Amino acid sequence: MRSQISKLTTGWLAVAIVVILLILLPVLNAPREWMLYVFLFLLFLAMSNMWNLLAGYTGLISLCQPAFLGIAGYTVAIGTWVQIPWWAGLIGGAVLAGIFAILIAFPVFRLSGVYFAIGTLVVPEALRIVFYLWKPVGGELHGAGAGYMIKDIADLTMAHMYWMAFAVAIISAIVIRIILKSKLGLGLASIRDNERAAASCGVNTFWIKVYPFVIGAIITGVAGAIFYLYQGYIEPSATFNVRWTMTLLLATVIGGLRTEGGPIIGTIIYVFLYFLLARFAGISLLIQGIILVVIMLLSPQGIVGIARTTRFYRYLERLFSARLIKE
Amino acid sequence: MAGDIFSPIVMGILLGGLYALIAMGLSMVFGVMRLINLAHGDFVILGSYIAYALMTFLGMDPIISLVICMPAMFGIGFAVQKYLMGRAFAISAEAPLIIAFGIALVIQNTNQILWTPLSRGLTTQYSMASFHIGPLQFPFSYLLDFIAAVIVMLALREFLSRTYLGKAITAASQNKRAAHLMGINTNLVYGFAFAIAMLSAAIAGVFLGMTFPFTPLSGTQFLIIAFGVVIIGGLGSIFGTLIGGLILGIAQTLAGALLGPATQMLIVYIIVLVILAIRPQGLFGR
Amino acid sequence: MSQDIILKVNNIDVFHGTFQALWDVSLEVRRGEMLALIGANTAGKSTLLDTISGLLHPTKGTIEFEGKDITALPPHQIVELGITQIPEGRGIFPEMTVLDNLILGSYSRKARTKKEQNLKKVYGHFPILEKRKRQTTKTLSGGEQQMLVIGRGLMADPKLMLLDEMSLGLAPIVINELFKALKEIRETGITILFVEQNVRRTLQEAERAYILETGRVTLSGTAAQLREEEQVKKAYFGI
Repeated sequence: MRSQISKLTTGWLAVAIVVILLILLPVLNAPREWMLYVFLFLLFLAMSNMWNLLAGYTGLISLCQPAFLGIAGYTVAIGTWVQIPWWAGLIGGAVLAGIFAILIAFPVFRLSGVYFAIGTLVVPEALRIVFYLWKPVGGELHGAGAGYMIKDIADLTMAHMYWMAFAVAIISAIVIRIILKSKLGLGLASIRDNERAAASCGVNTFWIKVYPFVIGAIITGVAGAIFYLYQGYIEPSATFNVRWTMTLLLATVIGGLRTEGGPIIGTIIYVFLYFLLARFAGISLLIQGIILVVIMLLSPQGIVGIARTTRFYRYLERLFSARLIKE
Repeated sequence: MAGDIFSPIVMGILLGGLYALIAMGLSMVFGVMRLINLAHGDFVILGSYIAYALMTFLGMDPIISLVICMPAMFGIGFAVQKYLMGRAFAISAEAPLIIAFGIALVIQNTNQILWTPLSRGLTTQYSMASFHIGPLQFPFSYLLDFIAAVIVMLALREFLSRTYLGKAITAASQNKRAAHLMGINTNLVYGFAFAIAMLSAAIAGVFLGMTFPFTPLSGTQFLIIAFGVVIIGGLGSIFGTLIGGLILGIAQTLAGALLGPATQMLIVYIIVLVILAIRPQGLFGR
Repeated sequence: MSQDIILKVNNIDVFHGTFQALWDVSLEVRRGEMLALIGANTAGKSTLLDTISGLLHPTKGTIEFEGKDITALPPHQIVELGITQIPEGRGIFPEMTVLDNLILGSYSRKARTKKEQNLKKVYGHFPILEKRKRQTTKTLSGGEQQMLVIGRGLMADPKLMLLDEMSLGLAPIVINELFKALKEIRETGITILFVEQNVRRTLQEAERAYILETGRVTLSGTAAQLREEEQVKKAYFGI
């Protein structure tokens, strides 16, 4: 028992050290690129976690995540044009993304499986057109295809944005933990396995799917808005773009769908790929598509799935699950 | 004033033929193996690009290039089903969708690398020509689309109702277990069903290319249109597919005429979402 | 025992996922006989038929048909060799016409050449099917649907017919008619292995029977022997 506890503390100690190092990265005078890598990693991780919650644990392949991050991003950008400070825009963006998720839940959640995927695919496509046509502020020269600059964020440093990204990533991980350990998690699993049976057992399959969808929309929205704060600029065609969906899908599938560790490992690899392939911009997405298909066919549980068969992974698992046994 | 409405309606009907043609393959694959092929739009555009390549390098007329384009897409379809989709079904419910999404990106980006993101078109003399109804002028390519759609539909119906393979495809979609017991090799039948869907995608791609300019990324737009057609018309009904195409085509051209061309696609997307919300089984579905 | 064995099942184990449905099951079918498989709902009768048909494959043991090992063959090759399963519970193609259902029965290469000839035979056994041939199958009554699936099985030109729970949910008078047709079919030289829950009826119709209980063969013998067996009397006749 004692040895188990000491092992446990080593495990969590390692995690704590990594976390503290990550928090301190901006003040440790780390090279700027490092910070950028970790910054993107944290944002992608938050979004991938949410995608995994939907696809992995609920069986809903959502292709409308770009809609949420776009809506939140646009809220921040347009807000700064009408003297709303960026942080208020961030909160407003999160709220709007959540409300929008509830609105589109009505059409798309009447559908299951295959239908759901296409239903959600329509949403960002429609929004792209909307934001091409709609120029709420700024006159003829701004907005639409030309996009919006985000104003008045000169006092916002990279370190600030980094810490915000860190907070979102941590929150996304905690949210997943809480949901999976709660009654909601059980309901999601029952829907994933057999929606009809779940419904006949009195599980309200509509609302139980709406919760993770809305939570996912809010966190994805905030992460997206932080990204656009960093970019300082937003326009419709790159925002409501299937590339974003590809990012989340790939990070989750590489790491391991329906595993908590999957998005973490997958996002690390994805960010690595992202910069590695940046030089080959033209074929980057082609390679990503091939990787996605190959991994899905050869190892549907991703790297975590492969790792599970190794002794080292089982050791790690024991390390972190010991606490649960004690509790 | 009557002409203002008449003209877009005629255009919409003809365009609806093209949409039905695009949707046929999607409907077939869904009907037989319960898969929404997320890459369907990109397969259609792949057909356009194959015809474009043959036209550019060999000077081949797009309609004649179908002689090469159709078998090529048939082969691609069979291989995709056998080596990718067929295996994906055994993995999990999500796997076929994710793999189809991956295939879509591979096709899009291959086209982008080979042909650049610029928009292309299969322009011929006759596709640029026009015909008249009274004082009104209509593009000849739209009429070709409609004729092609009707021919493909009749051919598909004859194939499904008259041949052993066609009957086997229908049977496998209605009762897979019983089909097995009749000695139908369902894996082979699925391969053929997917291949035939891709064959129809090749035809759709060629006629689409003669009607509209296309880019490597056009696939998504036509996937959504095809999906809209299928949910309006109900699954597995060839006639319903035509009706679905007509409704969507007319809605689009009317919206274009009344609200301005920029809103055309937006109206289509909104119709799709509204139908999903009120009648997910389709307007004519059971 | 010089009788010709058409099908031989040797000590097979079959799993549904992790659940073992059949345990060391062996069975022999003699050419030309009418053999019954009796057992309760979850005894594994349908599993056994599916394994013979190639829908499932045993993890242990072998299956031989006319001396040929068919253990690992896929269903379509087994149909080609001459084994046809008539599925239980209206295993029809509901949206197709009666005629199309029958034609699909002759899907195997060997059967296609005899399509017209077999169609005549089927109409001979079940005249009602000829009358209904243009109708959509789902509009048929339960008994007619059962006749259709038997007719469709005949279209495959089988040597051995496997029938799964033919009488399920049908009126006694219809069941009589079906058994009469089966006898005629058997007289044309087709061997019949059928699964039933109605034990009394089965032991009247079959010559021999096997009794399956929770995945194991517990008894076998001629119908006359089994009728006298204490165990059977107790379990199935409540005597």
